[in-house]
Amino acid sequence: MSTDTADSASEAPITPRIGRIAKRGRGGKGPRYARTGYLFVAPFMIAFTAMFLVPLAYAAWFSLFREQMIGGNVFVGFENYTRAFTDPQLIAGLGRVALFFLIQVPLMMALALFFALALDSALLRLSKTVRLAIFMPYAVPSVVAALMWGFLYGPDFGPIAQLADKLGATAPDFLGDLMLGSIANIVTWEFTGYNMILLYAALRAIPTELYEAAAVDGAGPWRTAWSIKIPLLRPALVLCMVFSVIGSFQLFNEPSIMRTLAPNIIVADYTPNLYAYNLAFVGQEYNYAAAVSFVLGFVIMAGSYIFMLATNRRSRS
Amino acid sequence: MSATPVKARKARPKRSTILTIGMLAAAAYFLLPLFWLVVASTKTTGDLFSTFGLWFAGENNLFTNVGNTFTADDGAFGQWLGNSLLYAVASALGGTFLAALGGYGFAKYRFKGNRAMFMGVLGAMAVPSTALAIPTYLLFSQAGLTDTPWAIILPSMASHPFGLYFMRIYADSAVPDELIESGRIDGAGDFRIFFQVTGRLLTPAIATIMLFMLVQTWNNYFLPLIMLNDPSLYPVTVGLANWQGQAASSGGASGDYIPLVVTGSLISIFPLIVAFLFLQRYWTTGLVSGSVKQ
Amino acid sequence: MTPRFRRRTGLAAAAASPLAFGACARRPVEPPAHVSQAEIDEAMRTPTELDFWTWVPGIEKQVALFEEAYPDIKVDVTNAAQGAGHYAKIRTALRAGRGAPDVAQIEYEMVPAFTITDHLLDLRPYGAGELEDQFVEWVWAQVSGKDGEVWAIPQDTGPMGMLYRADIFEEHGIEVPETWEAFADAARALHEADPEVYLTNFPPSQGAFFAGSLWQGGADPFAGSEGPVLKVDVTSEAAQKVTEFWAGLAAEGVVSTDPDFSDQWYQAANRGKYATWLTAAWGPVFLQSTAASTSGKWRAAPLPQWESGDEVAGNWGGSTNGVFNITQHPIQAAVFAQFINTDPECTKAMATEQFLFPPTKALLEDPDFTGLELEFYGGQKVNEVFAQISATVSPDFQWPPFNDQVRADYGATVGTAIAEGGDAVAALDAWQDRIAEYAEFQGFTVEEGS
Repeated sequence: MSTDTADSASEAPITPRIGRIAKRGRGGKGPRYARTGYLFVAPFMIAFTAMFLVPLAYAAWFSLFREQMIGGNVFVGFENYTRAFTDPQLIAGLGRVALFFLIQVPLMMALALFFALALDSALLRLSKTVRLAIFMPYAVPSVVAALMWGFLYGPDFGPIAQLADKLGATAPDFLGDLMLGSIANIVTWEFTGYNMILLYAALRAIPTELYEAAAVDGAGPWRTAWSIKIPLLRPALVLCMVFSVIGSFQLFNEPSIMRTLAPNIIVADYTPNLYAYNLAFVGQEYNYAAAVSFVLGFVIMAGSYIFMLATNRRSRS
Repeated sequence: MSATPVKARKARPKRSTILTIGMLAAAAYFLLPLFWLVVASTKTTGDLFSTFGLWFAGENNLFTNVGNTFTADDGAFGQWLGNSLLYAVASALGGTFLAALGGYGFAKYRFKGNRAMFMGVLGAMAVPSTALAIPTYLLFSQAGLTDTPWAIILPSMASHPFGLYFMRIYADSAVPDELIESGRIDGAGDFRIFFQVTGRLLTPAIATIMLFMLVQTWNNYFLPLIMLNDPSLYPVTVGLANWQGQAASSGGASGDYIPLVVTGSLISIFPLIVAFLFLQRYWTTGLVSGSVKQ
Repeated sequence: MTPRFRRRTGLAAAAASPLAFGACARRPVEPPAHVSQAEIDEAMRTPTELDFWTWVPGIEKQVALFEEAYPDIKVDVTNAAQGAGHYAKIRTALRAGRGAPDVAQIEYEMVPAFTITDHLLDLRPYGAGELEDQFVEWVWAQVSGKDGEVWAIPQDTGPMGMLYRADIFEEHGIEVPETWEAFADAARALHEADPEVYLTNFPPSQGAFFAGSLWQGGADPFAGSEGPVLKVDVTSEAAQKVTEFWAGLAAEGVVSTDPDFSDQWYQAANRGKYATWLTAAWGPVFLQSTAASTSGKWRAAPLPQWESGDEVAGNWGGSTNGVFNITQHPIQAAVFAQFINTDPECTKAMATEQFLFPPTKALLEDPDFTGLELEFYGGQKVNEVFAQISATVSPDFQWPPFNDQVRADYGATVGTAIAEGGDAVAALDAWQDRIAEYAEFQGFTVEEGS
């Protein structure tokens, strides 16, 4: 996604700036203002604790028990976790979302980046209309998105299949072997515009002096994009990627709705999140479901951390 | 007001027709499902399943469908829209307020645990809420909150750490320390400074976060699905899913729900698109000034 | 609506122990041995609100009739969700100990799932024991416990039959098949004659259809399960017979395997991809509204038989009304569940206006019901066909205490194998293993059959 070629040269002007902002900007010094600082963050932290941390802690406690239909509730320590680490259904699901992440996220980010650069390039007519059209799917609930795409994918009578039929071709088997790709398409449709807007906003914030120098050197718009804009977008790209790690590994809404269309492809353990849901709501294994979601949470945290570490190292080298 | 660098575009490069056509094709892809939705909303159940999906059937049934959508189940759909609006607006207002205070606090004050707390909030995002549903439900039920609007509004206010994150970055760069200092010299308390002076500098970020929280709560499906049992409290996402379930599972004469689901879906995305269109200027400004500085 | 307790125990106290949530905020009712008529009369004059969760459309009609008969009782009808979502909501509310309804719609197959957790109220003391004679024998067996408990009152049923396209049958010279063998031959012949058309669609994930098929085929996989002992035998000869039949036809490609009640399936039904729909007694009216473009072309007949000359059917679907023992108003709730499902005016409206297929002997013989001629079926008296089928359903079929898990496992093993042309009989073994493993996790003593 990034280019190493022009990194050192082009990042030079902006890195110190970011560093300065981070170091400066703690207006309250001394113990008196520390108290004020606590007061400012207290409302959020109290709400966050009550609405998120307490249920989280309760779920953690909950995951140490096993409640059975016959025999009641017993404390089992970390038994649910040892079961999770060797659960082939969970591992298969994790593998599937990892694959999804590796295919869908780069594709979506490449598209979002390309669109953002195109919008920023001033080469485009109707750029405002195009920008809105691409962003619009973000306003569509995933429930509705999956409903619409499900109809379009229909293997016999869906419009894509019918068009292909008229042209004498066979439509791809969207709801069969291609299912993971079909879900990837829905997610790409929903979130490319969102990522594009974040990147576009980042591009708009790049100081123009940087371009002017390039223009003096005779660099065209494509060259400018490649050597100046993309390297400067790195922080925004990393942010989008971290959100995408979380989104991919927590994949739930789209597969759960597509399930009615292809129940034998999207099985109960298709994604780890779907698996946890089914454990809780179909199998009534509430405690194990909580353990599975904690394992998933750790995987996501580790994944995001490794990702950030890797990109940091790369940008330093 | 904000530190947004305004771009001077002196030498405009020539517009590229190929790029324009390519981008229009991309735009068409993003609009295609929405076009299907518009077409489908004009059809009867029979036409929906027996005519070509991407073009209109002979007769236009849109107005009948819209009418039926709003009158079915004693006007449940209108109620769901109202609920969605209430939940989205209340949690966006409350959530933005909490995020603005908190983000400003994290950005502008030094105190023990600042970084740890902030990273903790971000880290919590990694744990999927799906299977925490049961514990959360049990706790909320114990507090008497399930099956009330609070069960949606309160968690939606506090569980989108992105708002806090964005506010912190924004406040960091948009509010100069000198402004706070000079306020203190004038003898104003820090909260007064925030509410009367520095808070205003956050306006573009506030508009942005509010809009994004509005979208998130409006589109949320899982939380209300778990927390609410009374259909008159459902937001539009859960209500539509309920109709869809009704269409398939109740036997008898229930096929008539299918056009309601389709038309209801179309109506449900209108408010957000309109909000984005009208508020475009605000949220783009907010994003531009907040996004790069990580 | 029952009063909602708003005791604010506080989050901290609540989090102290998960065991605290095991204990219900409301203590279950201890059913008395007998409730006298005087007690019932007094209760029914006491102003009361009842919560009733159901997804039956138009049930307000029966509720209104009940409120007319008992003006002091008010019933709040809630359609919170359907099927799996409905049960999930009830379960979580029961666990939390508040917010659960007094009375709820429960499908037959889910009754044991609520008796194993001891959540249903035995309705015998409230007069339900005397209702047995009004209901068809196999239906009553579905709601009765081992010691004669009455766990719920039947509301409607789904004896299985076959809806077929008379026009397609005529065009291709197909006789209405009376045996599954003839059905298989017709499937091959039809698909060869017109590759766009299939004699039927086997919905691979529709566990309820498969269970009904096992029922017709004489399999009774969970027979004899009681309390902590789970008997499971999904690999019996009868089950293999049914599985091999469908797996064979699917592998040959002469029946389609689309998921039912999906867009694809609705479209296919409208466009004549399927020449039959193997369905239940609630199917005819459902099809009428979703495949309106095919009106007049359909007819109804009994299912083909495994042995020529037999008359055997299974059941798919239908519901009961059960009372949860957390109710504060057991008498009123029990009387309500009985009234709406046995009062002549209520049940007649259900059968003739809401098109729920009746479980009562009286209605199955009522000419107003059986004589109904449906345009969509070329004026055929469809109810009469299904009323006759209802009499042929075997009373021997027991549901497992965790039917939703069994269904999910079916889809992942047998359903998938049939849809994808895998080894379906081996998949039966996999299904059996999954059920046994799950049951052991839940603390059951598992006895695997044969």
